[in-house]
Amino acid sequence: MRLWITGSGVVSALGVGKEATLQSLLASKSGIATVHYLLTEHKEFPVGEVPLSNEEMEARLGIKAGTPTTRTSLMGMLALGEALDTARLDSSALPKVALVSGTTVGGMDRSELYYLDFLENDSRNEFIKTHDCGACTEMIADHYGSFASVTTLSTACSSAANAIIYGARLIESGKADIVVAGGSECITKFHLNGFNALRILDTANCRPFDDSRAGLNLGEGAAFVVLESEAHALARGAKAEAYLDGYGNACDAFHQTASSADGEGAFRAMTQALARAGLKPSDIAYINAHGTGTPNNDSSESEAMRRVFGTAVPPVSSTKTFTGHTTSASGSIEAVICMLAMQNSFIPPNLNFSQSSDCVAPVAQLRTGVELQHVLCNSFGFGGNDSSLLLSNTSSSLSHNPANPQTDNPAIYIYSAQHISAQQPFSREWMTNPVLHTEPYVRSTEPDYKSYIAPMEARRMGRLLKRALAVSKEALAQSGIAMPDIIVTGTGLGCIENTELFLDALCREGEQLLKPTHFMQSTHNTISSLMAIHLGCHGYNATYAHKNISFDSALHDAFMQLRSGSGATALVGGHDEMTPSYYNLLCKAGYLGNEGEMASECSASVVIGTAARENVLCRIADMTMLYQPAPGQLKEAVEAMLVRNGLAQSDIAGVLTGFNGSDESRHIYCDGYDELFGKIPMLKYKHLLGESYTASALALYVGATCLAERTIPQTLYADGQQHPATEPKALLLYNNDDGKNHTLTLLTAV
Amino acid sequence: MEELILKLKNEIIEVLNLEDIKPEDIDENAPLFGEGLALDSIDALELIVLMEKNYGIKIKDPNEGKDIFKSVAVMADYISKNRTK
Repeated sequence: MRLWITGSGVVSALGVGKEATLQSLLASKSGIATVHYLLTEHKEFPVGEVPLSNEEMEARLGIKAGTPTTRTSLMGMLALGEALDTARLDSSALPKVALVSGTTVGGMDRSELYYLDFLENDSRNEFIKTHDCGACTEMIADHYGSFASVTTLSTACSSAANAIIYGARLIESGKADIVVAGGSECITKFHLNGFNALRILDTANCRPFDDSRAGLNLGEGAAFVVLESEAHALARGAKAEAYLDGYGNACDAFHQTASSADGEGAFRAMTQALARAGLKPSDIAYINAHGTGTPNNDSSESEAMRRVFGTAVPPVSSTKTFTGHTTSASGSIEAVICMLAMQNSFIPPNLNFSQSSDCVAPVAQLRTGVELQHVLCNSFGFGGNDSSLLLSNTSSSLSHNPANPQTDNPAIYIYSAQHISAQQPFSREWMTNPVLHTEPYVRSTEPDYKSYIAPMEARRMGRLLKRALAVSKEALAQSGIAMPDIIVTGTGLGCIENTELFLDALCREGEQLLKPTHFMQSTHNTISSLMAIHLGCHGYNATYAHKNISFDSALHDAFMQLRSGSGATALVGGHDEMTPSYYNLLCKAGYLGNEGEMASECSASVVIGTAARENVLCRIADMTMLYQPAPGQLKEAVEAMLVRNGLAQSDIAGVLTGFNGSDESRHIYCDGYDELFGKIPMLKYKHLLGESYTASALALYVGATCLAERTIPQTLYADGQQHPATEPKALLLYNNDDGKNHTLTLLTAV
Repeated sequence: MEELILKLKNEIIEVLNLEDIKPEDIDENAPLFGEGLALDSIDALELIVLMEKNYGIKIKDPNEGKDIFKSVAVMADYISKNRTK
């Protein structure tokens, strides 16, 4: 089975749509210019802006004036519209289509405009809700209809490439037939100033691979590709624009903002992509390089290319000389550029190149009439999140089956689970003697971090990073696994404390002298990268940032990979912090502060794997994620899950729900409970461990611990009644947010 | 100069968040990077912010910083000669 790309759409500084993009590429006409739309003092840095104001985009999309939108979501809508059109998918098809989008800044363009209003008055509260990455993805999705599932990847500048990889995996695992995947990111003052604090912006047009290169130009845009299984595409008569024959994701595990001299992560990502496609290095006709134009990236990437290709490095160019560095969207924008190059037989030039350096010499002039069969598209992110996509022309053939789904479906075991929450850290005492809080907002109870983290390493870690590292080290120690094959993390907001510090300084003190350390920690993937750097783990590494399903998406990714044999062990975590000031904002937005709930912070990590061993906690038998199920669809999903696993309702000892005690939560979880779950007892955990975006990681911890301890503590029963002692054989975890984003996870005893 | 060196040590400890390190633990003549405190490139960027914020000294090119940030003593000497506040 080959993965077909049956549609695509793109927006960037080169214009709206593939035709405008193609014409600019063929004319060697860059979209980089003096800043026009972004309200910044930094006019000295050229940028690649989408040549439309927000109002113009809203008008094109038919969005009523006054509707809360973000620039990231508007660009995403434009690109998604073209992708759906070219794939001939209308709104009636969407309930069977998954959407995976990558972003890091999310709604930061509005947050940086209104942050002081958020703090001081109620005039812009509607934009508190549009801040997070998941909110942007949902705005993009909801503009077109009702997608089967949605999630958001956030691995900084490789986000869109990793969204495409996750999309491919959904199809290969049989979880979806069609996935629309890509990314969207607008330029913000926040990351323009952050990149400036890191001193990696050039005041002239960027010159990747050139001896005089001095940094990057920021760009913005969005692109999506429609991935489809060959069988499904053939059955509906869809045409292929290209094939996705390979992909690789590896972690450089070197530094949060610098690449290693030998380009280990990039080397591994490209090597994996080739291996997956069953191709030799000599089969690659073109590489669309990450090629940012920073001295560090281009040296490191050149070394990685030399390690893969030896002296025969194929033609290379960085199209960031046209678009600027479109950060989280670059993976999908450049994938679409690769597809245009293959379809129109040309190699886009690496503009502004004049002086050779120790780097690979790129293609400096447009080459036409070049038949391209297979190309690589590189995207590397902060934290060493390096990915490479291998795209093939529709006229190409492959000698082996590139995306052969494995069907033996090995069992997935939870080896260990640890938490830092509103209860005693690393302790199971909550089962018999819980800490009972009465406040509506409780910060997590911290262990002494000195035994986990050396002071020099701790100097750049905020609370969340320390917490995530300590809990992950405990989970690894408990599992006896020193080095996992895969690290996947979910976080709704990332290190919000540092994000707020940077934002506050930006809004109050202006665009000067902002601290690079705060900026570095504002990217959501800092947590997952820190694990990799700390462990020296070069394996698959990804971060999901989508509201209440951030952790579920991470677990789902790891679950699919272990089942398909892409690894034997994975460290999966859910981590969020809640500062007093951000708690107040989320109360104003109506997310938190409801009577009866306890908002808190969460760090929970599990180590999972495929090998049966002694002392495993339980098995993860199944997972289903649904975005906005139609009436009856959720009930069908529950029944189908039980049937697939040979279980009856009576085999399930409880449904561990996200019920948090508020009236709103009661409406979400209790109304219709009997219809979904019949007589299975309803369980809760947030009254003890707290509400947060990644609280579902604590649900997994609680469920696994109950199955391992062979008991369900009375305090978990939602009805408050005394239940007879029971030895649970299976538990169902049910996570839901406001009628959207439902996850069902089935755990079974070993 | 001694006063400036002590002030600078305290500022470095604060901006780099060097928990558990006291001014007397820092040898003002020892290298800050590579050995000694073994700071890295991000610390250098934080020091650039410190120089501008506290002493009004603008360092455009991070490479220029390498010479200035050799040791606390060298930094203090540079500050005393170039400060604008």
